[in-house]
This record gives sequence, structure tokens and C-alpha cells, in this order.
Amino acid sequence: MFGGGHKVKVSDELYERIVKYAKLAGYSSVEEFVLHALEKQLAQLEEAQSDEEIKEKLKGLGYLG
Amino acid sequence: MSVPRGEGSPHRSRRIPIALLALAALVALAGTAEAQTSARGAARFDRVIVLGIDGVDYRLLRQWIDDGRLPNFRRLAGLGDFKPLQTSMPPQSPVAWSNFITGLDSGGHGIFDFIHRDPRTLLPFSSMSEVKPPAQTTKFLGIKLPNHIRLPGSDHLLPLAGGTTENLRQGKPFWKTLGEHGVPTVIQRAPVNFPPLETERGRALSGMGTPDVQGTLGTYAYYTDAPPPGYESFSGGKIFPVDVYDGKVEARLFGPPNDFIDYDRIQRRTGVRVAYQDRKASVPFTVYVDAENPVAKVVIDGKEILLEQGVFSPWVEVNFHLLPTPGFIRWAWHDLVGVTGMVRFYLKETHPDFGLYVTPVQISPMHPALPISSPDEYAPDLAEAIGPFYTQGLPEDTKALDRDVFTNDDFMKQAGLVVDDENRMAQYELERFRSGFLFLYFSVIDQIGHAMWRTMRGQETHPAHRSGIDDPYADVYVGIYEELDGMVGRALEHVDDRTCLIVMSDHGFSSWRRAFDLNRWLLDNGYLALKPGTAPSSVSYLQGVDWNNTRLYAIGINGLYVNQLGRERYGIVPPGPQKADLLREVASKLEAEVDPTNGERPILKVFLNSEIYSGPLAAQGPDAQVGYNRGYRASDESAVGEVTDAVLSDNRRRWSGDHCQDYREVPGVILANLPIRTREPALTDMAPSILTLFGVPVPEVMKGTPIF
Repeated sequence: MFGGGHKVKVSDELYERIVKYAKLAGYSSVEEFVLHALEKQLAQLEEAQSDEEIKEKLKGLGYLG
Repeated sequence: MSVPRGEGSPHRSRRIPIALLALAALVALAGTAEAQTSARGAARFDRVIVLGIDGVDYRLLRQWIDDGRLPNFRRLAGLGDFKPLQTSMPPQSPVAWSNFITGLDSGGHGIFDFIHRDPRTLLPFSSMSEVKPPAQTTKFLGIKLPNHIRLPGSDHLLPLAGGTTENLRQGKPFWKTLGEHGVPTVIQRAPVNFPPLETERGRALSGMGTPDVQGTLGTYAYYTDAPPPGYESFSGGKIFPVDVYDGKVEARLFGPPNDFIDYDRIQRRTGVRVAYQDRKASVPFTVYVDAENPVAKVVIDGKEILLEQGVFSPWVEVNFHLLPTPGFIRWAWHDLVGVTGMVRFYLKETHPDFGLYVTPVQISPMHPALPISSPDEYAPDLAEAIGPFYTQGLPEDTKALDRDVFTNDDFMKQAGLVVDDENRMAQYELERFRSGFLFLYFSVIDQIGHAMWRTMRGQETHPAHRSGIDDPYADVYVGIYEELDGMVGRALEHVDDRTCLIVMSDHGFSSWRRAFDLNRWLLDNGYLALKPGTAPSSVSYLQGVDWNNTRLYAIGINGLYVNQLGRERYGIVPPGPQKADLLREVASKLEAEVDPTNGERPILKVFLNSEIYSGPLAAQGPDAQVGYNRGYRASDESAVGEVTDAVLSDNRRRWSGDHCQDYREVPGVILANLPIRTREPALTDMAPSILTLFGVPVPEVMKGTPIF
């Protein structure tokens, strides 16, 4: 789908939606929009705490056995 | 997480002074902007004292006053008034105290339950506060840069910014408004106030919601050579199997996660992911067990502590070093790259088995690693004046009792330490209180109510009651009411005609005999689906749920959520009429449920979000809150998104009393040395009432009305 030696296949329908919203959101290219969306999603996931940590933090609550 | 953050900027961790300096500058600027004192009318009193006693139940207090067991409560009621105090829905302490603090309901302060969920990840998290490690990267002039310096030739990192500590409660505490009008305030251990907000002319120490050094709500350690079956899955504590060899035990005390190590680098190098438990900093210690007598000696961090079986040690400070540093410069580096914690040891047994309990590692009030007081020097000053104290919110170790690490006797001894802390803090502040507002918080009635309800007279048929073992403790619950009666008496000694004394609680109490697994009920009734081949018992934290076919799910102690399109990550139910019809349908079915063992209705009413909340944050809460009958509560499993085999089951936990029920069934109390004008005072009325006593105008945003 875009350069750098890596390609991702998307359906025609998804591609049309990407083109539409890239324009609506004011991106200069489809590629810029896709890269931004992926970066944003990855950043969220990278920041997310591990399940293990979340569980341990809640376990001290006396209300839960 | 999508939940909006607490008022003001997040508090920075104290590890990195550069970051602190920047924050201090921000706080100073904010303080300047709010320093002006606004207009204030005539005050009815020079001093207002509130004793906030968690979990005092109206029915029990009335009964024990009438029985003549609580002379000081009776005296206070005689000086003014004594009424039930309407609690929040749900009647959970973080929600209820937030109503008190802000004069708003959950739609305004954003606390809906002990446990919230992130609709993006569908994972639960603690609703009160959040401690986050430093971010991995930072942006400078739009360029993404690493947020650390790598120490050459090692896996160690030196972060360039501290972590953050955030109070997740929204809304302005009424004592901040008091401060802006020139009223001095002292706020002792108010719940949902971590980190404490800086207030003009105010001092505050954080309470419920304050984590231990590990960042958890409290994790004890137990070292034993006879670990109980299933110890690996104990919650709220870690059991460490040890060997007693030649009268000696070698072990480690675990502290905070060490953010100064590059775990990704270790994984790349070794191919092995470092487990969360192994990311914690630790300090080695040795226990020398006497061959004949029930005594031992602990050597830790250069200190020697003598232990006698069945007696808690004094507090011991322990330093966790996050970077390897030569001993001779360690003292200078410690503030930068170390964390000071504080523990008590409890030698439970020496022969034939060895058992050593260690409290959750507290943030030391003498050297706080996180902001537990405002101003910063208040916690160390208080510790210097009255001695060290628990800093963790709700420090009574009900988790150790639940798993028989503590016996009833061990637990009551440990709860006694908390009573002692609360009494010393209260006495100290009462004696130096000259003018303004003083709030003193007491947790023990609530926590002993939860843990020891099964032992009370009349509870012999409780599923958790153990005949013979529990009977000798039949009077401990009324005993703790009597203890607090003494505190009311000491507060009354400070009352004159210019002093108002209010004693109040956030909610009442009831038995908890039967557990209702709401997720199991949703599964059985076709509202929740599991992925093909998933056994209900394997569902954990909602993982295993088939979201494409799930319309409703439960998380939190009272919360019921619609799997809403556009809000939940895999939402399918459109907002609007379809969602409203679904909620009405499920509410009607739940309210019609009957417990086949006794013919009672486990659920009295399902409260829809729109019926009970108003304000900009209402939409972030559960779509409905389930109002359980007295004697019933959501099962532990359902509260964290698990599914068990049966909708209803006996509650056999030591945690045998509860209040997370229909709010109409468990009102709190209010007593004051002046008459209460309104027929049904509520928690949201308290903030406007106290502001009015000082002649301070009530902000329009507050829901309640003055009651005096």
C-alpha cells in the first residue's frame, strides 16, 4: 500500500473509506493519514499497562476475595 | 484511559527533582491566580469539626445508643440532632465520600464505583487514583526522543522525568472554596484525596486511595516454611515459601517496580520476558530464629529488629535502591534513584512451622516517595510529632484474614494499630485546632464491620460463621463503636458555643450472606455470550467474552454496562431507544429474580444512570447500578468480569458484612450539636451546609442544600 518495502493489503471498500476520511480530515495524502492512524493506535497500546499489573493493583481491594 | 483526570495538573513523582522543580513552578503560578480572598458573609461558628466515621450504620447506632452503650454519641445527639444521612448510589465509600467532598453526584465528580472500566480496552482499573511510571518517550519540538539516558554497558536507564500520580476524582472540594475565603482547613485522611490538592491556608494528609510503595491498594508479604494449599493464587498478598536452615531464614522484601531497568533490552538479549513480579526492586533480609523460645531477630538494610511471637514490631524504614551505586555515595544518590518504604514485622509462629508476616510496604511519612500530604512537609511534621503511621488507604489487612494468614486475633491486633494511629492523629490536631475547619477520618468501624460481621451475636447462621472459633469475638463490633464513642467524647471536650461538631458516616452496613454473579445471570439470560469453546470459569477480566454477541456486561461491584456501539471497543447496541428498551427489559427481569433458598429478592431495584446522575460526567458511568437487597451483594468474580458456575452462592468469606446494596437500605448517620432543619439530609448537602456555617457562598454547581 505504501513504500519502504512493506505493503499492506486492504479491501477496496476500506481503501475508499480511508481516501474519503483522509480528505475530510485534511491530510495531504492517504499515506500520511494511514501512518498517523497507526502511530496513534500503537502509542495507545504501548502505553497500556500489562494485564498482570492491572490485576495486581486491584487485588488489594478488600471488597474482592 | 478515557476517564478525565483530577483537578489541576498531575502530581509528579518525587524521584526526579528537575521534574519537581518544574511542577513547583506551575503550582506556584496556579496558587497566585487563586490567592485572592472572595467575599464572605457572617460565620455562625469560628470552628467546625467533622468526625467522618466510615460505615456507621443508622440502625445499629440507634440500637446501641438506646442500650446505653454509647454515652457520648447520646450526649451529642442531645445537644442538637441525630438523623439518618442519605448515602450515594452505589453506597460505596469512594462514591459516597466524593459526594460529601464536592456536593455533586457521580455525574459531577466522576467516581461511580471502586472499579471502573476503560471502554477501549474493556479492562478494569481502580477508580480513585493512578500512579504511572515515566513515559518511555518524550516530544521536544515535535521530535520523539527517548525519555532516559542509557547507562553504558548495562541494562540500566536513568529516566529524565518522574512518573505521575493522579487523583481521578473531579469536582472542587469544598475545603478549597473555604481556603479561598480565608478559612484555615485541616483534612486528615479524607478518602479519594490522593494526591491531596494544595489549598490556601490548608493542610491535608491523603487517605483511602493512597497506594502502598508497590503502587497497589495493599500487598502484604508472608514468609513461611509451610505454605497453605493454593497460596500462589492468593490476592492482596504474596506468600513466599522459605526454608529455616540452621535457625536462619534468607528472603527478600519486594518494593516498587524498578523503572530504571530496560526490560525490553533484557528480553531482546535473553529471549525471556521479565515477569512483573521480577521487575520490582527488593532488599535482602535475614531472620535468626531462636532454637527454643518464640522469638527471632530480623536484619534488614543495616538494622536489627527483635521480634516476639504475636507482637507487631515498630515501623522500620527500608531503602530500595533502583540503580546499583557504591555505598559511599548511596546516601547522596538516594533521593534521585531510591525509594524509602516502611514496614512492620509480625512473627506469627516459630515452631514447629515458621511464619513471618510483613505489612504492605508503606510510603514512609518521614520520607514520602509520593505526594501524600499538602504541603509536602505536613506528613513528615506529623510523623515527627506523633510517630510513624500507616499511610496506605484502608490499611486494616482484611486480605490476610480472608486467607487465614491472620487469625481473628491477629487481625484485631493489626486493626488496633490503625485505631491507635487514628486516635493519635485526631488528638494531635484537636489540641492545636484554633479556628477554621477540621476533618478527621476513621476507617475502623467500616473495616471491622466487613471482616468481623460473621462473629456478631445474631449472625450464628451466617455462611461464614465458624462455631467455636468466631463466638469469642461476638462483642468486637460493638466494641469498636464504643472505642469511637470515646473519640466523640474527646471531641466534645473541644466544643464551645463558637464550635460546631458534626459526626457523620458515608453509608450504613448490612450482612452479606449471598453472592449474586451478575455476569453469570447475563450469560444464562442471553445478554452476554462467550467465544465458542470458552468455559465460563476460564473468563477473566472479561477476556473470553464474544463481544459480537454481547449486549450487556457487568464490571465493578454494582455496575451494569451496555456494550454500546461507538463507545465500547466492540460495541453492538446503538445508543438511543434500542439501548433504553434493553435497559428497561433487563431491569424488570433482575428485579423479579427470587432466591430459591429463602424466597427473598436479591435485587430490589436497578437504577438507570439517567435516574440518579446529572452532570457532564454521567455518561462515563455504568448504564445502570444494581441495588442489592440487604444480605446480598455482587460476587467477587462478577465485579472483575469473571463468570462462575451459579448465579447465587453462599458468601463464606471472612469479609462477611457489606453495604454495596440499594442505597435506601444502608443510610449513614449524622449527629451535630445543632438542629437539622431538613427531613432527609443527604451526603451532597454536607458541602453546602459547611460552607454556609462559615458564611461562604455555596457554588451554584453543588446539588445539595444547607441542612442547619
